[in-house]
Amino acid sequence: MLRFVTNRLIAMVLTLWAVSFVAFAIIQLPPGDYLTTYVASLSAQGERVDPRMIEALRNQYGFGEPFIVQYWKWISGILTRGDFGQSFEWKAPVTSLIWGRLGNSLLVEGLAVLVMWTIALPIGIYVAVKKYSLGDYLATIAGFIGLAIPNFLMALLLMYLSFVWFGTTIGGLYSPGFENAHWSLPKLMDFLSRAWAPVLVLATAGTAELIRILRANLLDELKKPYVVTARAKGLPEWKVILKYPVRVALNPLVSTIGWLLPALVSSSVIVSVVLNLPTAGPLLLRSLTSQDMYLAGAIIMLLGVLTVIGTLISDLLLAWIDPRIRYGSK
Amino acid sequence: MRNVSGLGLSGAVAFMALLAASGPALSQQAPMLDELVSSGALPPLEERLPANPLVIEPVESIGTYGGTWRSALRGGLDNAWIARTVAYDGLVRYDREWKEIIPNLAESWEVSADSRTYTFKLRDGLKWNNGTPFTSEDIAFAVELFSEPTYGGGTFIKNPQNPVSVEVVDDTTFSLVFGNPNGVIMDELASVNGLTLVSLNKAYCSQFYPAYNENAGAEAQAAGFETWEAWMEDRCGWATETIRWGNPELPFMNAWMVEQPLTGDATRATFVRNPYYWKVDTEGNQLPYIDRLDMRVSDSLEEITLMALNGEIDFQDRHIATVVNQPLFFDGQEQGDYRLGANVPSNMNTLVLQFNLNHVDEKRRELFQNKDFRIGISHLLDREEIIDVVFTGQGEPFQAAPRPESPFYDEEMAKQYTEYDPDAAAAAFEAAGLVRNGDYYTFADGTPLNVTIDLISSFRSEWVDMMELMQLQLEAGGINIELNNIDRTLYYDKRLVGDYDAQIWQGDGGLDVIQEPRYYMPSGAESVWAFRWQAWYNGSDPEIAEEPADWAKEQMDLYTQLRGEGDPAVRDDLMKQILAIAKENFPVIGVSLPGNGYYIAKNNMRNIAEPMLHAYLFPTPAPYDPFQWYFD
Repeated sequence: MLRFVTNRLIAMVLTLWAVSFVAFAIIQLPPGDYLTTYVASLSAQGERVDPRMIEALRNQYGFGEPFIVQYWKWISGILTRGDFGQSFEWKAPVTSLIWGRLGNSLLVEGLAVLVMWTIALPIGIYVAVKKYSLGDYLATIAGFIGLAIPNFLMALLLMYLSFVWFGTTIGGLYSPGFENAHWSLPKLMDFLSRAWAPVLVLATAGTAELIRILRANLLDELKKPYVVTARAKGLPEWKVILKYPVRVALNPLVSTIGWLLPALVSSSVIVSVVLNLPTAGPLLLRSLTSQDMYLAGAIIMLLGVLTVIGTLISDLLLAWIDPRIRYGSK
Repeated sequence: MRNVSGLGLSGAVAFMALLAASGPALSQQAPMLDELVSSGALPPLEERLPANPLVIEPVESIGTYGGTWRSALRGGLDNAWIARTVAYDGLVRYDREWKEIIPNLAESWEVSADSRTYTFKLRDGLKWNNGTPFTSEDIAFAVELFSEPTYGGGTFIKNPQNPVSVEVVDDTTFSLVFGNPNGVIMDELASVNGLTLVSLNKAYCSQFYPAYNENAGAEAQAAGFETWEAWMEDRCGWATETIRWGNPELPFMNAWMVEQPLTGDATRATFVRNPYYWKVDTEGNQLPYIDRLDMRVSDSLEEITLMALNGEIDFQDRHIATVVNQPLFFDGQEQGDYRLGANVPSNMNTLVLQFNLNHVDEKRRELFQNKDFRIGISHLLDREEIIDVVFTGQGEPFQAAPRPESPFYDEEMAKQYTEYDPDAAAAAFEAAGLVRNGDYYTFADGTPLNVTIDLISSFRSEWVDMMELMQLQLEAGGINIELNNIDRTLYYDKRLVGDYDAQIWQGDGGLDVIQEPRYYMPSGAESVWAFRWQAWYNGSDPEIAEEPADWAKEQMDLYTQLRGEGDPAVRDDLMKQILAIAKENFPVIGVSLPGNGYYIAKNNMRNIAEPMLHAYLFPTPAPYDPFQWYFD
């Protein structure tokens, strides 16, 4: 097991290095650079920009240098000093911008995962055990509707309905008074009074998928002889199902936990923009459109880290729920 | 709209003198400051105000103190809204009719006969919001800093064709001395860009500048910045850019000062009254009336729109006041307890179609430079249909020409070739040497003519609707059109390459005719229709610069004269000559005059002028003095 984890860690480092390289390359693919965008926005406001100043800035930002030199500067800063570079737009170190946003992202999206699993697991088990029942059909229809409605549309609907019905706007994660307050019970209540909307939107999107996977897996397992044996031996029905087939059926779900985090972050970008959530999504979108490359690079890089860590977690979990899987030993 | 006339101003100054003589009893300040003064944390009002504070005549009536003005910023980098509401106090400013330049921080100024030396007299006793004196030295510092080639935006201080220096006479008197005559500097100082010169506190900002602090470079690196310029920019900025509002320590001369800074992860930015603000109303009450500004930072237009409908916005026009939203806001007035007021936009057109007169392809360049071709295109546009369908009937057919409100308005220029007339178009195309081959026109040698028009739909959503209609209309008249919806950066990169048929943009320069002549002559990089000609004129991008046609060269000569001319009447005359040449040569095609814009104001917000002229250089609502708005 130890050897497995070590191997995994080495692979992680290599993967991250590749991710960083690709991330940095992708950001530089579109035509122009941050300064083009900057000049565009200035002239949209009617300001005129001296080409000489642009030239000076281009040198200052190091845009004239070859790709590999720019990449090396960036990655060595991260490795040696934990310095992700400067955000061009905010003229501030990237690190000062992203941590709070990533924290909010993890909070909202973690809650969404939790809600998704809490809804999907019981329903998934229920519809497998009672297949083709009325409950099965209802749950399936509800799940598919959740999957089919685009997230942004659902967010818009929620905003509109809460405006029409309750006369409130549900944008953001905190009310005005709580934005900068320390965590406390009232702040938590305030957070929950607003966070339900994005959590609901994000959770409904993935629920149907989970239900269907769990249902299919469980249906396969329920027919197997060991289930019949357990039943024949007189084990209570709930124990028969929960202790054995469900554990096995969870396997494919657990092994994809690693993809869950980045998928949620990327799927939540538009929801976050619509609902004005202070998460990493809008920051990433904004930095990509303005070609604020160090900021975008840092966020993409951290999403990569999340994926890799998530994969490691799912591997460990898998080993725990399914002892048949034995890593590294012969 | 009332104007602080010269007579009213001097009368008000006399009134203030009387006031000073009769003691401070009449003078008033906001209740939130009373306690600070009685506890000794703040000096009394007489010591905070200059000897002759600027007296502002309220739009309707004397106001009452207090309240919070709520509005919203779109995303974090919406500096223009802050510039328009908070940061508009230069040496001088425009009157409310955008006709005259009137005193502000400077109480008077003199121009030398050769228009090279501008001598300003500051109000005596002006103070930054931290209580330190604002003097000529601060101005000299700003000029010194912006003269650094590596620092600052593209301000007039950096103009290599007309270098400037400062002569400090005393604490309140200084001169800007230009290398060559400068006729446009007062307009620059009165516009939103005027802030650059008066927004650097020497005592605070010099600590980041190697000329005053030899350790500045090392300290910048210790703070995590590669260069002193980056550190300076982070702490002091240079104009109205967003970064300025992230540092509460940075001193300001504005009516409100940073309370909750606007940083990259902020969800709200707030401003609080400047206790040293140097303007009073006609009864001697210190301005501003409103205590606080509270700006929601939102990436979501939907959220801002709902906030406005829900009555959570006290005044705003930016972002939400769109054509599409208008009926929505109109219907929601009662429920949201707000009203709609009119903005007169400075744009003279909803869309300007610019054929590339400098196309890299020989044949196309020749065609696009042919005035008959452009006339034919213009006659094919059914502008009434576009106005009815896209703009619910608001506006009128209009070319790229000064607005009716402008002193430069010329009806013939605005209306020429705007009637829908397929026969006239056919004749014009024939005159331009095109041949009709079946459904479409081709070049004379039979090669097909497909015109690709670039547009950015993300900038103005109505452009897509307009362009699709125009495509149908032009194709019905035999011109094969392809629409190319592209990203903003690509749009800008294409200019240098020169391989585009046509691009579109909004109609800047309807009221700010002299300041923004981009469609009347090849004046700058935004003159996309003649990018290589303007490069020749401006000395930028020499590798692609091309010698312009004679008429454009004549315009450039006139504009160069204009920039060096001190007499406004002569300047206007020169501009009229430039416009006459534009009218004759018809370089770009307009569609329609934009209908009035609108703003949303809560019903209890008072003293808002109606209607307001609206432009970026004349940054509405700033010229209408938001610091004299109040809640009743």
